[in-house]
Order: sequence, then C-alpha cells, then structure tokens
Amino acid sequence: MRSLFAPLLERLSELGRRVRMLVRRERFDRELEDEMRLHREMKEREFVEAGVSREEAHYAARRRFGNATLLKESSRSAWGWTWLEDTVQDVRYAFRSLRRNPGFVSVVVFSLALGIGANSTIFSVMNALLYRPLPYHGADRLAAIWETPLGHADQRQAPPIAELLDWRKQNHVFEDIALTSGTESSILSGTDGPEPIRIQDVTPNFFDLLGMKPILGRIFTADEMQELTQTVILSDSFWKRHFNGAPDVLGKSFTNHNTGIVSTIVGIMPPGFAPFYGEPVDLWQPINPASRRYSARQDHWLMPVARLKPGVTLAQAQTEMDVIARRLEQTYPATNKGIGKKLQPLHEALFGWARQPLYPLLGAVAFVLLIACANVANLLLSRTETRRNEYAVRASLGAGRRRLMQQLFAESGLLALLGGALGVVLSYWGIQLFRALAGEFPASGSINIDARVLLFTLGISLLTALVFGLAPAVQASNPNLNNALREAAGRTSSGSRSLTRHALAASEVALSMVLLVGAGLMITSILRLQKVDPGFDAANLLTMQIRLPEGGKYMQRVPGGDMERASPQVTAFHREVLDRISSLPGVESVASATGLPMHFSEGYTFSILRHPAPPPDQRPRAGYTEVSPDFFRTLKIPLKKGRYLDDHDTEAAPWAVVVNETFAHRFFPNEDPIGQQLLLRYDPYPVNEERPRQIVGVVGDIKQYGLPRPAPPFIYASYLQQPAVYPGGAIVAHLWKDLAIRTASGARPQDLPAAVKKIVAALDPDQPVTNVMTMDKLLDESLEDTRFYMRVLGIFAGMAVLLALMGIYGVMSYFVNERTREIGIRVALGAQSADVLSMVVKTGLRLALIGIAVGIVLALGVTRLIASILYGVKPTDPITYGAVAVSLITVALLACFLPARRATKVDPMVALRYE
Amino acid sequence: MPREEIPPGTLDLLILKTLARGEEMHGYEIARSIQRVSEDVLQVEEGSLYPALQRMLIKGWVKAEWGATAENRRARYYRLTAAGRKRLEAGVSQFRRVVQAITRVIQTA
Repeated sequence: MRSLFAPLLERLSELGRRVRMLVRRERFDRELEDEMRLHREMKEREFVEAGVSREEAHYAARRRFGNATLLKESSRSAWGWTWLEDTVQDVRYAFRSLRRNPGFVSVVVFSLALGIGANSTIFSVMNALLYRPLPYHGADRLAAIWETPLGHADQRQAPPIAELLDWRKQNHVFEDIALTSGTESSILSGTDGPEPIRIQDVTPNFFDLLGMKPILGRIFTADEMQELTQTVILSDSFWKRHFNGAPDVLGKSFTNHNTGIVSTIVGIMPPGFAPFYGEPVDLWQPINPASRRYSARQDHWLMPVARLKPGVTLAQAQTEMDVIARRLEQTYPATNKGIGKKLQPLHEALFGWARQPLYPLLGAVAFVLLIACANVANLLLSRTETRRNEYAVRASLGAGRRRLMQQLFAESGLLALLGGALGVVLSYWGIQLFRALAGEFPASGSINIDARVLLFTLGISLLTALVFGLAPAVQASNPNLNNALREAAGRTSSGSRSLTRHALAASEVALSMVLLVGAGLMITSILRLQKVDPGFDAANLLTMQIRLPEGGKYMQRVPGGDMERASPQVTAFHREVLDRISSLPGVESVASATGLPMHFSEGYTFSILRHPAPPPDQRPRAGYTEVSPDFFRTLKIPLKKGRYLDDHDTEAAPWAVVVNETFAHRFFPNEDPIGQQLLLRYDPYPVNEERPRQIVGVVGDIKQYGLPRPAPPFIYASYLQQPAVYPGGAIVAHLWKDLAIRTASGARPQDLPAAVKKIVAALDPDQPVTNVMTMDKLLDESLEDTRFYMRVLGIFAGMAVLLALMGIYGVMSYFVNERTREIGIRVALGAQSADVLSMVVKTGLRLALIGIAVGIVLALGVTRLIASILYGVKPTDPITYGAVAVSLITVALLACFLPARRATKVDPMVALRYE
Repeated sequence: MPREEIPPGTLDLLILKTLARGEEMHGYEIARSIQRVSEDVLQVEEGSLYPALQRMLIKGWVKAEWGATAENRRARYYRLTAAGRKRLEAGVSQFRRVVQAITRVIQTA
C-alpha cells in the first residue's frame, strides 16, 4: 500500500515546500544572500591565507561567484516560481508606467469599456433568454411536445388535450407529461368593479413536473376540473393583494359574477413562480384531460411539457413518440391522419425565437469591440514607438524577447481588465437602456449581470487584450537595437510601422461602414413603413376593446362536447353599445370588429360551392373577422365591387360576406366573385358552418397583420349573421369586440372613453372597457420592433463612428508629429499652408476611402443577415451605401481637421532646430 | 594538479556523498570537502553549487538549518535525509553501471 502512495506523498510534500518558499520568499532571498556572502568571505580568507593580497583576494572571490544576481536568480528558479514573480513584477511595472499617462489610459479604457460594455449588455440578454437554464429542478430534462399538421412537417401546433392520456399510457421515456396554457387574460368581477387578471390552465401534475411545491395548501388532485365549480391555486402576489397574505384563505371561495364559476382556493404558490411566459400569473385553474369535454380531440390550445426519464436522450424520446404517432393514426384516423409529433427542449420551445433577432446584434457589438481594439492597438503602437529606446535599452541589458512581449501583454491585460471592469458598470445601464428600447418581452425582467455574464466579460477582456496587444508586443520585442539606439531621438519610424497604423485606422472605417449601413437600412425601412398605406384612413379613429366573458350569461357550454352556445344577449349587447355610441356628440360613425388591423384575427378554411372540393389537407384558408355593417364606412375602406354589408343582412336574410381584393384575385382569378357561395369551417374542427355565405362585395386590402406584411385573403361577415353554436373556442370572435370610433376632426376624443365606459357600465356593470388607443398610435406601435432594431443598431453605429473618429484623429496626429521636420523643410522651401493642408487631408482621405471600399464589400456580405427585418429596401441599397460613404468621408475630414491645422502652423525654424 | 569540470548530473551525487558521512556542512564546507577528497581535481563552481542545493531542498533529499560556525558566524548547514540517502544509493549504483559500461567501450576500442 505504502509504495503505491509514496510517489504521490512525495509530490505533495514537494509542492508544500514550493508553496512555503513562495510565501516566505523575501526571507528566502535574504538567507540565500547571507549564505553566499559567508561562502565568499571564506573563499576570500582562503586566498589571503594562500598569500594573495587582501584586495586581490576580495575581487578574486567575487569573480568566482560571477554575476551574483544571476546566481541568485538561478537558485530561486529551482523553486519554480519565476513565472509568477515575473508576472507580478510585470503587472507592477505596467501599473507604474500606466500611472504616468492618465490621459492615454483614460482614452484606452474608455474605448474598451464602450466595446466591452456593449458586448456584455447583449450577452446578458442572450444569457437570460438562451443560456441560463430555466429556473426549474432538472430543467434540462424538460421538453415540449408538438404535433405537426398533415402535410406541414415543419409547422408546430398544440396537440388535442385528450391525447395526453394516450401518450402517458403508451410511452416508456417520460417520467410524466403535463399540459399548460399560455398566460390568459380574464376579468375577475366581484367586490370593487371588474379587474383584469391573468390565469393559466394546467393539468394537476404540472406543478410536480416542474418540481414546485405550494407554500400553503395543496396542488390540484387529478379529478378536479374546470366546470361550474372548481378549485384554484393562487399566486403569492394575488394572495397578498387580495387576502393580505392571510393563512386562513384556504377553503375560501369566490364567485366570478360574469362566468358564474365558484372557485375554491386550495393552495398558494411561492413568490415569483409564473411559468414560462415572463408575465405574472394570478391564478391557476385545473384541466382534466379525461373530461368528456375534450373527447372530440379538437382542442389544440394547451402545450404539453414532458420530463424525460434520467438517461433518456431527446432522440430516443422522439423515436418513441414517432411510434406513438403512427399508432394514434390508426386508432383515431379522423383526427390524426398524417399527424406527426415533434419534441423540442423546453428552453428552445420557449426562447428559441430570440436567436434570430439577437445574433445580428451580437455581431454588431462584436464589430464595435473590434473597432475599439483597432483603436487601442493604434494608441499602443504609437506609445511603443515613442518607447522604443526603453525597449532597446532593456533588450541590451539582457531582457529576453519573450520577457519583453510578456511585459507588453501585462500592460495590455491590465488595460483590458480596467476596460472590462468599467464595461460591466456601463452594461448595467446598457441593460436598462435595452429594456427601455425593447419594451415588454418574455423574461425581460430576468436580464441581469450574473456570474456567467461576468465570466464572459472577463473572457472577452482578456481576448481583446490579446487582439490589441499583439501588434505592439511584436513590434516592441523586435526593437532592432542598432537602429533604435542610433536614432536616439527616434523621430522617424519605419514604413511598415506606419502602414500597420494606417491599416488599423482604415479597418476601423471599414467596420463602422458596416454598422452604419445596417443602421441606415433600418432607418430607410422605418421611413418606408411610415409611408405604407394601411388601406384605410387611420386619422381621427379611436379604438378600444370590449371582451365579453366566456361564460355566465353570455355563453353556455353544450354538454357532451366542445361546443358553445352564444346567448342572444351578445348580439343585443353589441348592437346597443354601437347605437348609443353613435349618438354621442362628436362621433361621426362607430363600428366593431373582432380584431382590428394590427390585432389578432381568426382564420377559417372554406370550400366554394360548385367548385371541386379540395383535399382535406389543402383546404384554402383566409383571415376572418366578424364586423358590424358600418365597419367599411367607418374605416373608409374603399368598395371595389358589389356592395358593403348593411342592416338588411339580418339573421333571417341570406348570409352575406364581403371579401378583400386579394381574396377575389386569388380564389376567383377568372370568375366574378360576386354571388359565389362559401362554406366556412373552423379548422381543424371537421364540420362546416350550417349555412353558406354569399359574397356580396369586394373591398380594398388592408394591412391586417402589420404594415410590413402583405394583406392576406380576408373574409368579413356581419355579427348579426352568426350561428347559435360555435365549435371549440370559435365563439370568442362573437364575444370579443374591438370598437373603432371615427370622430369629427374638430372633436376632442379625450372625453370619449369615459362616455363609452359609462354606456357599457349602464348595460353591464361588470364589463370593463380596455386598451383605449388611437388608431394612429396602434399603427405606430406595430412598428416598434423595427424601430427598436433601428435604435439599437443606430446606437452601435454611433459608437463605432465615435471610435473611428478617435482612431483617425490619433493616426493623423501621429502622422503630423512624425513629419514636423519634413513639413518644416517644405515650408522653408516655399510650400504654402494650402499645400501642407492638402498633404495631411489627402493622407486622411486615402485612409478613409480604402476603409470605405473594404467596408462596402463587408457590408454587402453581412447585411444579408438582417434582410428579413428590412422593409422596402434591399440590403444592397446603393443610396444607403452612398449616404453612409459620404458621412464617413465627412467624419474622416473632421478627424483630420485639427492635425491638419496644427501642420499648417509648423514654424520651419522651430521644426528644424528641433533636430 | 589540473582542475576538471564536474560532469553534468554528477554534482548532486557528489554533494549527497559528501553529506552522507554524517556531518552537517554549510555550502563552503561542501565545496571544500569535494575539492579535498578529489585531491583538487574537482572544483565545485559556486554558480552551480547553490542552484543544486536549492533543487535538492525541493526534492527533499537534504534539509537545511541555520547554525553557527566555529567562529560563531551564521551559516546554513545541510544534512542528508532518508530520501536523500536512498537517492544516493540509487545514484551511485547507476553511476557505477554507466562508468563500467563506458570503460568497457573505451577498452574495446
């Protein structure tokens, strides 16, 4: 046994001795010196005894020892700590030499901090969304399961709720599978007027699956389902808000006056628990997948989340789900024919979307950092240039090439770390700015500077040190002693060195060019988007939402399936609201629709009577909205053919619809659309509407899904001509209304919302009116994403230009300094200040032009990455490129201005005497 | 008597052997002893003696303690450790094998 461990023990005790030596190295040095002095003196005495004169003996003994310092060093090096001591020495030296140049240091550190801070900011966003594990126990084993619709293997949709039972029974790869809805808005009515709340529908095992326990009470049991009575679990914040955090809340029940559902509180979840969508949740409702309600297998609105058994890979689970999908096809051919299953890591399913917008931004900040590096490299190069004597002297005193480089890297490293530290501070504000610019998005609250961000910052700081420190280090380590010492004044520098500097400045221009082009393209896109005709007149339109609740007096569930019956009160309520608003002073007209432009709208598939029936997986689809007949007149959507809907299109009359031009062109290219009859279907619910709808008019296209997107084919039906019973959720189109109120141009719409709320409250005191907004604002907000991108790229481009400006200025200043003597001679020989000026400006311009040329090539390659978010402008838009080039030339001229002026003021006498 | 360079690698061995006689010695004494025993053939360079001693301290072959010389001067005295003795034995037998081998080669030639 002992022999086994002996070598190890030996190594350990050796290490112990080394460490002891490091800790006590000052004493060690002293002792070694004492020891050697004794030796020398004894040697001296030996010589004296041998008859040598005292003085000669002294020198002889010294000679024998040779270089005492070297000897001491080689003795010390035996202990293996030289590298550390060298590093400490280098850093200390770097500190001293930097402290003497506070101006230089602050310019460098500020440049780096800008670049590093921008990178840390973007990385902290990516970290929060993409890299930080989800905050649930064993989150890497959580996966989302989607189904892929027939004929669309690349699409994902939620599977029918009841399928959960089949999956649970048939799989061997998951510990468990739960279902969850998104965060849904609802209205809680009761004590103090209607209150909007957010609820989440989940299967009872959802909490267990995430490893979450209630802080009070219990979670749902398997058979608790959402019917007229139900149990609910409250969030911590809701509990504190409504019950003051009282522990006796369990077992209390409250009634939603709108839906009539009695809810009994059974548990409270811990603070901060609000899975998945970055929005707070107020309460959770149980879903029972075994309920008869879901047996039709038509309800595709809950996301399955599964936990893989330990050791099972995603690929293995996918294979198993493929088998299950094929088995389900045979068991339920009506609903599952051609339906596949697709597994996705939960993190990817929730936040995968963030990659597409964030990667280009990371690229942009990388460019900013590169520019900062080029800038700093240039400053360091100039500094090394002026310190060439120092390096030459050190080299001639025996400093090795490696040691000199090491010294320079210590300096670069120190600068980079200082820049990194300041960068972290800047990124703190950067994150605030990013949040302010980006507005609300999932997990935006969880962006912070954590250990991973700090590590990333440290990493890029050191990397930048390597990047910008390389050129100066190579330069310093090769000082060419002869030349350096001979040209004691070190006034001229070799061509290759100034070439490096100029190349670096040109590359700054090139990189700025790319960022500026990016920002320029975004600005052009915004300008184009603001000029897009939405297809209606958005001026003087006020919008607001009235969403009738899904339950209570407005809706009854049809027993034994997923069908809902609208009460006649719904139509009456809407009609009454519209009537009363239209008689308000200042209102020209009013209309309602399910989903105004820029809002959500439903999609229906349809078949055309007397046309061949399409195969079930290729049924044509169109956008659909339920409008009041005045919709077109109120929004001023032009009539192209036939007639608008009107008040004669009542329940008793034949059902009429109006379609848009895109619809008419796509589905009736060679026929008259007027008079054609459509049978609508709320796909995937496999049943057609009971009555056909006849096309009575064609209206102009409007940008329903946002200004940048082409108008979809669209069907408008009257809210007066609706079925009594709706399949799986389609009823919301009947319950939820957006109002559009056109005001006379002189009227003040500020008073209108209050008036409308009064009207609604008179009809139903529990019914809130929400999202009051002018249509102009609505359109404007739909551009927020593009505008956000424009602003962020603009900020980065601005930083890039600032850095490039500093870079060119630095190079040109150096250029003028270097040539003071030459300029002096020229002036002495009769050159005018215009000549001198043009010499400096030409050099600066050449540098800028080379940078711009390279930048154009780079930009052509890189801007393709943002092509998908551009609008109305190609990534190669010559006007943008031209404008950017001109502005960069202006910047270059600006940067040349001061150095050039200095050059014209060179006094030949002074310049030549300086010799 | 001509002075010879100490072949590389053998200085450690000489120091260990010198200390193996059981006496504690300081650096100067070690150098003197090697010189004397080798009848002035081997000259220990101070430039290699102290790095070698440091190396052996790390390896744990020798231990050092501060003491006083006969003239009451502070000196660092080195002493062989058990590990050092083992190393010496291994070193000596290895050295013998090498010398024998070299001798055979030289004689054959």
